[in-house]
Amino acid sequence: MAEVRLLDPAERRIGHGEQQAAIDLALRMPALVVAAREVASSLMHGMHGRRRAGLGETFWQFRPFVSGESTGQIDWRRSARDEHIYVREREWEAAHSVWIWIDRSVSMAFTSTLAMQSKLERAIVLGFAAADLLVRGGERVGALGLTPPLATRTIVERFAEAILIADRARPAPEELPLAAPLAPRTRAVLLSDFLSDPDDIARTVNAMSARGARGHLVMISDPVEDTFPFRGHTEFMDVDSSATLRVGQAESFSEDYIRRLAAHRGAVAEAARKRGWTFALHRTDRPASEALLALRTRLESGAETGRAN
Amino acid sequence: MFGLPLVFTVPFVLVALAGLPALYFLLRIVPPRPRPVPFPPLRLILDLRPKEETPVRTPWWILLLRLAIAALVIFAMAGPILNPLPAGEAGEGPLVIVLDDGWPAAPTWDDRVIAAAQRIEAAGRHGRLSAVVPTSDAGREIVAANASKALERLRAIKPVPYIPDRLSSFPAIEKFVASKPKAALVFVADSVERGNGRAFAEKLAGLGVPLTLVTDHRPVRILTAPRNEGSSLNVRISRSAARGAEQGQIEAFDLKGARMGEAAFDFGSTTEAKAQFDLPVELRNEIARLEIAGEHSTGAVTLLDERWKRRRVDIVSGETADLSLPLLSPNYYLVRALSPYADVHEINQGAADPISAALDDHPAVIILADVGTVSGAAHEKLTRFVEDGGLLLRFAGTHLASASDDLVPVQLRRGGRTLGGSLSWETPKTLAPFERQSPFFGLKTPDEVKISRQVLAEPESGLPDKTWAQLSDGTPLVTAEQRGKGMIVLFHVTADTTWSNLPLSGLFVDMLRKIIALSTQTAKDQTDKAGKAATAANAPAGDKTVLASPRRTLDGFGVLGAPPATAKSIPTTFDGIGDSEHPPGFYGPPDALLAVNALAPDDVIEAADYTGLRIQTEALHTTEPVDLRPWLITLAFVLFLADAVTSLWLAGGLRRPGRHAVATMLVLAFCGFGGMALWSPVHAQPAQAITEPLAPNARESVLETRLAYVLTGDSHVDEISQEGLLSLSRVLAARTSLTPGDPIGLNLAQDELAFYPLLYWPIVPGHGQPTPAVLAKVAAYMKQGGTIIFDTRDAQTARPGGPPTPEGRWLKQMLEGLDVPELEPVPADHVVTKTFYLLDGFIGRYANGQTWIEALPPAPADGSARPARSGDGVSPIIITSNDLAAGWASDRGGESLYSLVPGGMRQHELALRGGVNLVMYTLTGNYKADQVHVRDLLERLVH
Repeated sequence: MAEVRLLDPAERRIGHGEQQAAIDLALRMPALVVAAREVASSLMHGMHGRRRAGLGETFWQFRPFVSGESTGQIDWRRSARDEHIYVREREWEAAHSVWIWIDRSVSMAFTSTLAMQSKLERAIVLGFAAADLLVRGGERVGALGLTPPLATRTIVERFAEAILIADRARPAPEELPLAAPLAPRTRAVLLSDFLSDPDDIARTVNAMSARGARGHLVMISDPVEDTFPFRGHTEFMDVDSSATLRVGQAESFSEDYIRRLAAHRGAVAEAARKRGWTFALHRTDRPASEALLALRTRLESGAETGRAN
Repeated sequence: MFGLPLVFTVPFVLVALAGLPALYFLLRIVPPRPRPVPFPPLRLILDLRPKEETPVRTPWWILLLRLAIAALVIFAMAGPILNPLPAGEAGEGPLVIVLDDGWPAAPTWDDRVIAAAQRIEAAGRHGRLSAVVPTSDAGREIVAANASKALERLRAIKPVPYIPDRLSSFPAIEKFVASKPKAALVFVADSVERGNGRAFAEKLAGLGVPLTLVTDHRPVRILTAPRNEGSSLNVRISRSAARGAEQGQIEAFDLKGARMGEAAFDFGSTTEAKAQFDLPVELRNEIARLEIAGEHSTGAVTLLDERWKRRRVDIVSGETADLSLPLLSPNYYLVRALSPYADVHEINQGAADPISAALDDHPAVIILADVGTVSGAAHEKLTRFVEDGGLLLRFAGTHLASASDDLVPVQLRRGGRTLGGSLSWETPKTLAPFERQSPFFGLKTPDEVKISRQVLAEPESGLPDKTWAQLSDGTPLVTAEQRGKGMIVLFHVTADTTWSNLPLSGLFVDMLRKIIALSTQTAKDQTDKAGKAATAANAPAGDKTVLASPRRTLDGFGVLGAPPATAKSIPTTFDGIGDSEHPPGFYGPPDALLAVNALAPDDVIEAADYTGLRIQTEALHTTEPVDLRPWLITLAFVLFLADAVTSLWLAGGLRRPGRHAVATMLVLAFCGFGGMALWSPVHAQPAQAITEPLAPNARESVLETRLAYVLTGDSHVDEISQEGLLSLSRVLAARTSLTPGDPIGLNLAQDELAFYPLLYWPIVPGHGQPTPAVLAKVAAYMKQGGTIIFDTRDAQTARPGGPPTPEGRWLKQMLEGLDVPELEPVPADHVVTKTFYLLDGFIGRYANGQTWIEALPPAPADGSARPARSGDGVSPIIITSNDLAAGWASDRGGESLYSLVPGGMRQHELALRGGVNLVMYTLTGNYKADQVHVRDLLERLVH
């Protein structure tokens, strides 16, 4: 039978190991360029050339001055060459903002002998790696509720620092992010085990996407949680509450559990799908790179989906 | 119970065993606590009710373990006792313990006393009176007393050195039972039939009161019939039944208790065995006591006296040698008759002077067979030989009949007389019974012995006294006369068959043996004569029995000691076995001891057969009852720990915090065992031996200085030592700054000596020498600075220049194994005489003994008179013979407990002062030697 346990609080701290693992993981990825489809309407600035005229530093085109425009926009050096008056247009450049949220609640500190890492570690590695990847791709990344969107090269360290400070101030982190609307056209990546009530999850997703933000839910799951390998007389303890369940023969619960787990995941996926968010399942016995690759694909394809809308 | 010697003191607790099945179901239903599993998705299934509510059963082996624990606890509470004591018989009347106290009971005496004491105590607990009746104590009326009195009486009984007739004690028992019809009898019997064992048991059974027979099946081993034969001393060992140890050792000791040798024997599953001492004849002649090693009873000891010594006997014949006709030679009969008892040498007839040649051999006896006259140098030598204590035995013959010299006991008539010959009308004469004063008294005179010719003695006034044997008509046949220290004995017939058929009879052998036995008893005869003169005054005329008073007698354990007051003298011709009035032992003066044994040479000891009697029989217990409770509780505790560990393991608690749990459990286990050890101190001996090698009294000895003495095994001596040291301790506490604890007796083999500065060792020679291990311990003690006072206690018996006393010899023998420094009598300026009091010597019960101490380095040659000298350290050894402890011993009032020699309060005080000085010497060493200079030092400081 798989041995399961919860990490000690000391073990839950973010260490240098996670940071390095995240950077290593991100380095293995090709530079992620998030498709910038909705450049025009984004209020955020970024370094992407949006292949259209707009606010930017790079020259885009000269066009004839239309009367009524502000004269301040006339490029006098070009206009001096002939009789027409030209306005110099620059390519509109804007950066994506991506919010990453990592669930650090007690239930994430769960691990088993079947897994490579605890769920928490895996979530942090994934979150940091995605952040590093996105920053190198020119995006601004922020830890939801902890930092503003940043484009610094030391994003991983900044995240780690922010999380450490937050954990010190508040030892029992929430299971779900604050259900507040995100700015339109930002992206959210939620890394959690999503074992909360599906209604709560749906409410949170609805609230966050209220102004049009898109997002990805990555459900991190321990293999033990998937397979329920328990047998015999067992006393199950909830990690967030004091609830316990003592069963004479755990194997008799297996079927019910698996059915309920599938229903739960269906409900979470449905909640995401309804708001145009994506949902992915990642098990801690799989390599983290797999999840990161999938996340990158989704960040890219999420743009497509967004355009389809 | 279950064929085991097991009983329960609280048997009704066993009823609780019936509850075990209930416990079984209970344990089955309540499984062990499940292992807790943290499970984050639990809320998904929190509302699910189990489909199958039946929990997993407790594993069967845990069930078994717990049931075993419960059963063990129940058994322990029931108070199981292995080898239990016999339950106190729940009678009402008094309990009569009939105790066999003949010597066959001696080897198991302690067990018998314990068995009797247990029954008396059990009876006492039931409020019953008890009486102890030893079977040797026939006359006394039986009085029942309470348990403590009965125990006191029981402890006073010691086995007697003979086998009493049990029937003689029966009337008293019968009378007692008649007066107390509710009495119960316990017969603690030995395993020997002799003394009417079965008849007595039958009679007891016939009294109609409850009778319990306590007996053991250990065979009794006896030692009889020592025969000093040609090349070895042979002895017969027999036993009452073919059981028990097959092999054994016979040990031989001389008169002084020194060990002469040992011989092995092997029964080989029969009841008889032989042992053989192959020793030179001189050593064999020294053997005075034989005993079976380890068999402490009178029957296992045989005493030997002069009669068992082999004498050298030289035979000189006056007849010409005619080797072709040996049956006509007197030598033939003499050699045949004597060789079983003596070393016989025939002197070659061809020698020029056969008598001188014989005398050169230094024989004990010279036999002259029909030698007429001895004259010249040979006569002088022979006379000197007799007067120096030799025995001259002469046989008549034609030569002697014709002419004789003065070396004959009586005046002889010329020519013999012939009876039944062709010219005589008298028929051959037979022998008359032997008179009492004759050494042959007790021998039977067979009718077929006919004397046909003899030499006649001149009638004279002293003739009847000199006559040892006479014919039926009163003419002397054997005459003897004391001559100087020796004796001359004359047979008035020949040593061959020409004059009589006496040499053909067994009587001849016996007579010769008696005469040979007399050969070195001449000195005894002289003292007997003095004794006879003394006894003649009060003895009725005509009773000429020579009596030998008891000197040292055996007790029931086969130990020689002073004779009891009831012992009576025996005639020197005594040839029986010991009985109540004549206990076995040595009788007579020291140089002519007469041995009386507990058994006749051909005695066979028969096992008692008590089967078929309708009485309750119990075996004599030799095993102590063992309380099994602590063991069961311990086992239950161990199982409980095992159960705890497995439960923890099952619940998954043995993974991370396991180390702490295991450590806790180990501590618990340790405490548990410690508690167990405290709980039953009697059985905690082995555990104590591991964790705490010091005996409790040693711990006390570490904490306070105390005087110590060596336990000798002789309870009287030990008591004196205890009293003496106790008195000395009191005096030390009163007069000096030292307040010693109570003195302690030490068993050298077991106790640690290092805690005692001073060891008082009274010498008791009767016990064996200490083992090499003990000697090594003593040597180490002396090397490490301890001081031993050896007290031989023999100042009264030792003579300056005389032979060493047994104590002295024992001590000397022991000290040979030790590294002892050079000794000297305590010099007047030795520091030991000045350590507290200024003394001249160390006296105890006696004042005349010398005290020896390690020799001091010689006084400095510069002549500076120092008042005290001392060596570098404290003498490790002090030897005295003054019996210091008896001199010190006093009661609370300061009165001496033992009579002092010469006596007086002053002597007691001086003895104590000597003791104080000795203790101070051992504690302060040479300190006082410096102290005596204090005056000089002070003077120097002043100037």
